[in-house]
Amino acid sequence: MTLSTVANAVSVTRRRRTTRVVVVTGGLTSVVAVLFVVTMMVGSFRLSAGEVIGSLLGTIDDPSLDFVVLGLRLPTAATALTVGLALGVSGTIFQHLLRNPLASPDFVGISSGAGLAAVSGIVLLKVTGLAVAGFALGGATVAALLMYVLAWRDGVSGYRFILIGIGVAAFFDGLIGFVLSRAQLYEARQAMHWLTGSVGQASGTELRLLLGGLVVLLPLAVLLQRQLRLLELGDDTARSLGVSAELARAALLGTAVIILALAVAAAGPILFVALVAGPIANRLLGPATGSVLAAALVGAALLLTADLVAVHLLPTALPTGVVTGAVGAPYLLCLLATTNRQGTGG
Amino acid sequence: MNRLRAEGLSLGYDDTTVITGLDVAVLDQRITAIVGANACGKSTLLRGLARLLKPRQGAVHLDGKALASMSTLDVAKVLGLLPQTPIAPDGITVADLVGRGRYPHQGWFRRWTDRDHEAVTRALAATDTADLIDRPLHGLSGGQRQRVWVAMALAQDTDLLLLDEPTTYLDINHQVELLRLLRKLNAESGKTIVAVLHDLNLAGRFCDHIIAMDGGAIVAEGPPSEVITAELVEKVFGLSCVIVTDPVAGTPIVVPA
Repeated sequence: MTLSTVANAVSVTRRRRTTRVVVVTGGLTSVVAVLFVVTMMVGSFRLSAGEVIGSLLGTIDDPSLDFVVLGLRLPTAATALTVGLALGVSGTIFQHLLRNPLASPDFVGISSGAGLAAVSGIVLLKVTGLAVAGFALGGATVAALLMYVLAWRDGVSGYRFILIGIGVAAFFDGLIGFVLSRAQLYEARQAMHWLTGSVGQASGTELRLLLGGLVVLLPLAVLLQRQLRLLELGDDTARSLGVSAELARAALLGTAVIILALAVAAAGPILFVALVAGPIANRLLGPATGSVLAAALVGAALLLTADLVAVHLLPTALPTGVVTGAVGAPYLLCLLATTNRQGTGG
Repeated sequence: MNRLRAEGLSLGYDDTTVITGLDVAVLDQRITAIVGANACGKSTLLRGLARLLKPRQGAVHLDGKALASMSTLDVAKVLGLLPQTPIAPDGITVADLVGRGRYPHQGWFRRWTDRDHEAVTRALAATDTADLIDRPLHGLSGGQRQRVWVAMALAQDTDLLLLDEPTTYLDINHQVELLRLLRKLNAESGKTIVAVLHDLNLAGRFCDHIIAMDGGAIVAEGPPSEVITAELVEKVFGLSCVIVTDPVAGTPIVVPA
């Protein structure tokens, strides 16, 4: 092949990839936007899309409409959106950093750590609101550090990290049970409700905190994606290509842990969204593209859908976490079955 | 002038020291092979030269500056290393992987430039991997895969390239093909190449300079015909042998006695 044929082939491939990224990201953004509006249309009485958008943008001046849209429905819809984005980003960063599709934060004990700290706060110290978020962040950080110390030796060897993570998660879950058994009835109910995971439960403070966190950390995660794409080639390759491996990894882990903790603080531990968002984004964009932004959008679309199903489609309204769990569990089984067959899980 | 050299270099892992007080100067624009028995410190030396291992004592100098004091990014613009068993995520395509080699030349916000395009094109053409760009790496044969990894290292566009056992897992034909490729790169662009090799005959045939290591120290160094002797092979590998002359290239061939 001559040099110009090769140059041409490279151009074609790159152009095709760029087109795919633009189309998929644009498509996902529209899907998320539509779901976001639809979430606010359905309920005990229906609104049209025009009414919802009008109220959101302030073009329709109707106090009773504003009460329903901005007062009642926007907080839930915004929580589903932001928590979904957060879980998607955090999950995909963990999976790529640990080079394992099973390595979502729900499975390696980070979510459990956040849950244990938050439940302890609610039950033992009777904290509410912002303080719960603080506890969740602390718990997630401690769990992440614990995992790092226990499992990180010259990088991560796939299954060891996952197995230790499952152990750590089981340990934390056990402790959560213990803390709950010591609780008064009221606090226990509070904590149980929180633990099921629901986008309807977030207070204004938690939502604002998560929103603020995302505004800063989502762009940071997108920027750090360049380093992430080299870290997944192994530390030696990453360093030979000019990445300060330890620093980049710490920054990525820190970003993922903080985003996850804020999401867990807002909506409780919602399972499986972080696990499936990244792989779905990869399926849409082409294998191993690992787009943080696409994963975030998939996470948001999944959670908005799960919330619609949980609250409106089922005969009785259920917490969002129940629906994501019911959908996610079969995916997990499928993933375990296929990774074992290909031998690529570790 | 030697752009890459080490003085009094000591290297090790955790509580074991592998190399003590080693001096070496890499010949510019030549192909150097590091040979030696298993666990003699070849790969460790290569990792030390590439700044992947911090010196316990002594220093590696690149263009007169201490390597340890340079930033990872600045080193990566001049010196590349292909690890022994590089890993890649599932399903990654050849184009994607080779493109990632451009990292040190890109900024936080800078998009894909013509220079990136040109470097990737040249890397693919040199390694004869252009027809594979849309294929997933894991679906390729061992020889193709190794060529793709070399393409990634070439896309990095460095003056110095270090390769850790690039011919492992390859059959004889692919080994020769890869070493011919290194020769071509060296001849065309004057790239300085250092490779850890196991096959003495191939090292002698394709490299300008041989460094023989034993027990973490350099025991002989020079052109193949001077270094590859029956005494050295006996000493380094513990193999008694006869050295004959390659009928094609006139280089030394090790024949076990």
